Amino acid sequence: MSNLIRSELRKYFTTRMWWGMALAMFLVGALFAAFTGYFTLYGEMPVGEAMIKVSDAIPELTLVRMIYSGGIQFAYMLALVIGVLSMGQEFRHKTISNTFLAGPRRHQVIFAKVASLVVVLVVNAVAHILGALVGGGILLATAGRSLLPDVGGLGQTFALMALILVVWGLIGLGLGVLISNQVAALFVGIAFALIVEPLVGFALTFFEGWDVLAKFFPSQATTATLSLYSGVDPGLAEAMGGGGDQLTWWGGALTLLAYAAVMTLIGLVLTRRKDIA
Amino acid sequence: MTVTAAAGGPPDTREAAIVVRDLSKTFGDFVAVDHLSFEVTPGRITGFLGPNGAGKTTTLRMLLGLVRPSGGTGLIDGVTYAELPRPLETVGAALEATNFHPGRSGRDHLRVLAATHGIPDSRVDELLALVGIPAAARKRAGGYSMGMRQRLGLAAALLGDPHVLILDEPANGLDPEGIRWLRGFLRHLASEGKTILISSHLLTEVEQTVDDVVIIANGQLVRQGTIDELHGETTALVRTSNSRGLIDALRAAGLEAGDEPAQGPGAVRVVTGDLVRVGDIALGAGVPVHELRVLRTDLERLYFQLTESPENRNRNLTDGALPAGPPTGAPPPPSPGPGSDAPEGSDR
Repeated sequence: MSNLIRSELRKYFTTRMWWGMALAMFLVGALFAAFTGYFTLYGEMPVGEAMIKVSDAIPELTLVRMIYSGGIQFAYMLALVIGVLSMGQEFRHKTISNTFLAGPRRHQVIFAKVASLVVVLVVNAVAHILGALVGGGILLATAGRSLLPDVGGLGQTFALMALILVVWGLIGLGLGVLISNQVAALFVGIAFALIVEPLVGFALTFFEGWDVLAKFFPSQATTATLSLYSGVDPGLAEAMGGGGDQLTWWGGALTLLAYAAVMTLIGLVLTRRKDIA
Repeated sequence: MTVTAAAGGPPDTREAAIVVRDLSKTFGDFVAVDHLSFEVTPGRITGFLGPNGAGKTTTLRMLLGLVRPSGGTGLIDGVTYAELPRPLETVGAALEATNFHPGRSGRDHLRVLAATHGIPDSRVDELLALVGIPAAARKRAGGYSMGMRQRLGLAAALLGDPHVLILDEPANGLDPEGIRWLRGFLRHLASEGKTILISSHLLTEVEQTVDDVVIIANGQLVRQGTIDELHGETTALVRTSNSRGLIDALRAAGLEAGDEPAQGPGAVRVVTGDLVRVGDIALGAGVPVHELRVLRTDLERLYFQLTESPENRNRNLTDGALPAGPPTGAPPPPSPGPGSDAPEGSDR
């Protein structure tokens, strides 16, 4: 089993794309943190009649947290891509035959893939958070703010960001098994997260009682996990795009883990039965 | 129905390395492999032959646990592939020459596989040297020629030093030099006592390499035996102006002889390889001899006759309608001896 995991890890670290992916994670972290930093530190938002300075209306921890996790939406899309590709590449280049010849007990291969993907995603999460610290840190420093106002609280945020990336990667892995054409799998995954989910969420608001479901959708649960708007005036939160009823951070995290578990299970069952022609 | 029943070969007391029993696979209503049974004798090279689309690859993939059989079993060393504790150390398989990630170097491809069995990098480099691509294997596989891909595939198959090798069309896309190299390489492996099952759609490609053959068409067994059995007995062709007199004289000498109109006027076919004796008999009978030579079976022609007889005609090339009465479930029995159905044809 540990041999299979080592083999899976070698797959990642012997192609350039994975290094490029980590670099992309870093840059996304830096750019979005800087952008969010600029917006929250210097921007103004209309609340009711008045224009208020965003940085005055948000508690310090929430503000810094918002800045450092500014790129999380883009980052978890990348994590989804990593997950899809870690399976899709095997089908695309037909290396899956060799993989199953070396590991004919396929459930072991899937477990090894899950384990190695977690490692790779943690590496990517570290790259992303480092990027965010650099990009967000520069903006905070120039505004004369503390970089780490609450180390414990931010530590929790970083851990949850890593968890979010891992979970979205595992969702991608399941998707990659479910749809063996990696282009189709990527399209479905990204289209669902960016288009279908918001649309369905919006549609649900028209049905009494059903709208509570929306907060369990993966993107909504992700936002909830980070408690991005805690302590923020509801009106302002809504103006910033984060309004509505949200799960608690642990409720969001558990919801995401449930998605990952279901997708992995689907992947496991399908892989065991699949003909590799 | 075992290949072990070979005339000439020593009787093998070991169990067959590969046993395929009643193996079937259907995709929807398409029967890819149809109650196929054969065995592969340890320590010999067996050619697994059939036209494109005959079901060779599907059979091999079922044997290797990649495709789930609809019925029957394929066993290696008495167990299914998935039951082998360390599969790469028992069976080495080279399936398609395109099985590489184009962005990963050949060496890294092998290292990925090696890791699954804890095989050290030194073994990877040893094999790359053995197949002759030690330097090229450090480049990314996307730029490899077909020959290099085949060599890399062979190196991958040999990683765990298995005693059974299953190679799917290893000669595909090789240039003549590559085929010559492959032949020598397989002979070398066979001399180490390895059991080799090698598929091909071209008999001539493997004719000089294999000891035994299993021929399938439309997913069914057509013939199996040693390559010598397929060749049949050696026969001689004599051309004369008095074929009647010659045939009588040859038969009087206890030889099997008859007209061979396919070889042109005055051609007589004698079942023997002893040309001197045939010449002496003709001289004794006072019959003029215009031509006298050994007539070898044209295996390629035999192969086509076997695989393209009406019930075995390639279903992929017909308009979808299967021939009316293929004997499903009952493959034609292999005729071990130099059967009368083994047509002797053109010379070579």
